[in-house]
Amino acid sequence: MTNVIEARGLTKRYGRFTAVDAIDLEVPAGRIVGLIGPNGAGKTSALKAILGLTNFEGSLKVLGKDPSRDRASLMEDVCFIADVAVLPRWARVWQLIEFTEKIHSKFSREKCEKYLTSTKITMQHKVKQLSKGMVAQLHLAIVMAIDVKLLILDEPTLGLDILYRKQFYTNLLNDYFDEDRSILITTHQVEEVEHILSDLIFIQDGKIALDCTMEVVQERYVELVTSPDQVDAARAMNPLFERVLFGRHIFLYKNVNRAGLKELGELHTPSVADLFVATMTGSES
Amino acid sequence: MNRLMTLIKREYWENKGAFHTTPLVIGGIYIIGMLMAIWTTVHFDNELYTFKEAVRLAASQSDELRSAIAYSGILVSSELFTTVLAFVVFFYLLGSLYDDRKDRSILFWKSLPASDTLTLASKLLAAMFLVPIIFWVIFVLTQVAMALIGSIMVLSVGENPWTLFLSVTNPFKPWGFVLLTYLAQAIWALPVYAWLMFVSSFAPRVPLLFAILPPVVFAVLQIWLKFLQTFTFKDNLFGVIGEWFSNSPLIMSVDENRGEIAAGLGIPISDTFDHAVTVANIFDRLFSQQMAIGLVVAAVLLAGSLWMRHRATDS
Repeated sequence: MTNVIEARGLTKRYGRFTAVDAIDLEVPAGRIVGLIGPNGAGKTSALKAILGLTNFEGSLKVLGKDPSRDRASLMEDVCFIADVAVLPRWARVWQLIEFTEKIHSKFSREKCEKYLTSTKITMQHKVKQLSKGMVAQLHLAIVMAIDVKLLILDEPTLGLDILYRKQFYTNLLNDYFDEDRSILITTHQVEEVEHILSDLIFIQDGKIALDCTMEVVQERYVELVTSPDQVDAARAMNPLFERVLFGRHIFLYKNVNRAGLKELGELHTPSVADLFVATMTGSES
Repeated sequence: MNRLMTLIKREYWENKGAFHTTPLVIGGIYIIGMLMAIWTTVHFDNELYTFKEAVRLAASQSDELRSAIAYSGILVSSELFTTVLAFVVFFYLLGSLYDDRKDRSILFWKSLPASDTLTLASKLLAAMFLVPIIFWVIFVLTQVAMALIGSIMVLSVGENPWTLFLSVTNPFKPWGFVLLTYLAQAIWALPVYAWLMFVSSFAPRVPLLFAILPPVVFAVLQIWLKFLQTFTFKDNLFGVIGEWFSNSPLIMSVDENRGEIAAGLGIPISDTFDHAVTVANIFDRLFSQQMAIGLVVAAVLLAGSLWMRHRATDS
């Protein structure tokens, strides 16, 4: 399978500050990849490099093209929602649709209008008259009507209420995703995306802290919930991370003998959020 | 080509108020001004006696004189449109590569497969041709409306507007001149347009300041250094800009020539070019050495704008 994104030693510096530090990255086709990291970890810088919005060092190929040189032709096959509320506020809905239709050969007006019929958005609305959630709906309707190979979402649901957020991902998964397409998502709201991801990448201080598929996450990591009297035994098995919740001790393990662990308490697959916290604060890399 | 037209259309959508409503307002001012003048006349002189006398006096003049007055009148009345057009184009270009960075919509525009070169071209072409042509069309329509109102007035006092002015006036010549000067100015002003776009492409905020401050500081330093050396105030950037401005192939002045009022190209303070409104004088400017230098300056600045635009994101 070919890779949609291939980066070798991708580096982005702002003056003396290195935002992205020589990362290697491979995103195969047909995956939904979550790029997760704390604020300032270099997520947005990496995405901007991938989208040809900034220059960078190292080698980077997106769909076989160099984004810093071929942004315009790359955008025939890549689409992105950089953030909510980047649609021009002066524009009317019909103008955005007509513009996209004329500029993008892979845009389907029918699809876009079909998505919009399930919303309260009309053709005559100006973007500035729409609520933040409606702007996100409109942007998603436009983007989903474009038949591209790679969709990049940078904090696509920031500032939206929970109803819009749920619907956003439902639409994305049901109406858009298939095995020829890839989606790369960065977000802080890990809980929302963890069930749709097929791959997980953690980024910390400009470096990749974790890069694996969700199946590997399930095989590799396990969470033990146990009572206080088992704590010493649990600690003896080298947990990555330990926390206490309502008087119960929760331990996170990597590559551990599950048979032995099972005797100490309940075993769970850890949530991405917990894994994230453990990875970012623990010594593991 | 199709994409370029779509990009230009986007510029129109975004700036409809400046491109379209503004000249309509000027046209409205002319027409309302004319109606107010008529109303005032009627108010003080309800028999329209003075007006009748004035029309008769005008009718007794020679055809040539009436034709010349109408011709100059049309040219001169374009000046308000021209002035406002210059301001509209100035502020449009100043915001052309700045506004979408500021409101972050650049992230949407750049998510579509339109190249930066094409985007830049659409904005420059809108400033050079789209806006002047819209202004010109509304200017012509305003004059048609004013001729109609004038004719009704003349008819109402029992005179014939056809013999009085309609038959002796060939409006197409002055209208054509106004359009030609607008198109010539689009080329003449390229170095300034390119400067404004360049500033717009990099200014982190208040592009107006970035557009005006550097040339002013540069010129003031120049003047000061020159003064220290020669105790004169000659040859500085202000002089160059002033000369450029006063030589514009635009109808900007009114001059008295052998007892007749005539419109002039630019402002007749320098004698580098002839200021009479003729096609030859317009082309003189476009094929001059100044123009050639201006085009080089424009090319460098536009390349700079493109370079900046290529790297521009939302911050």
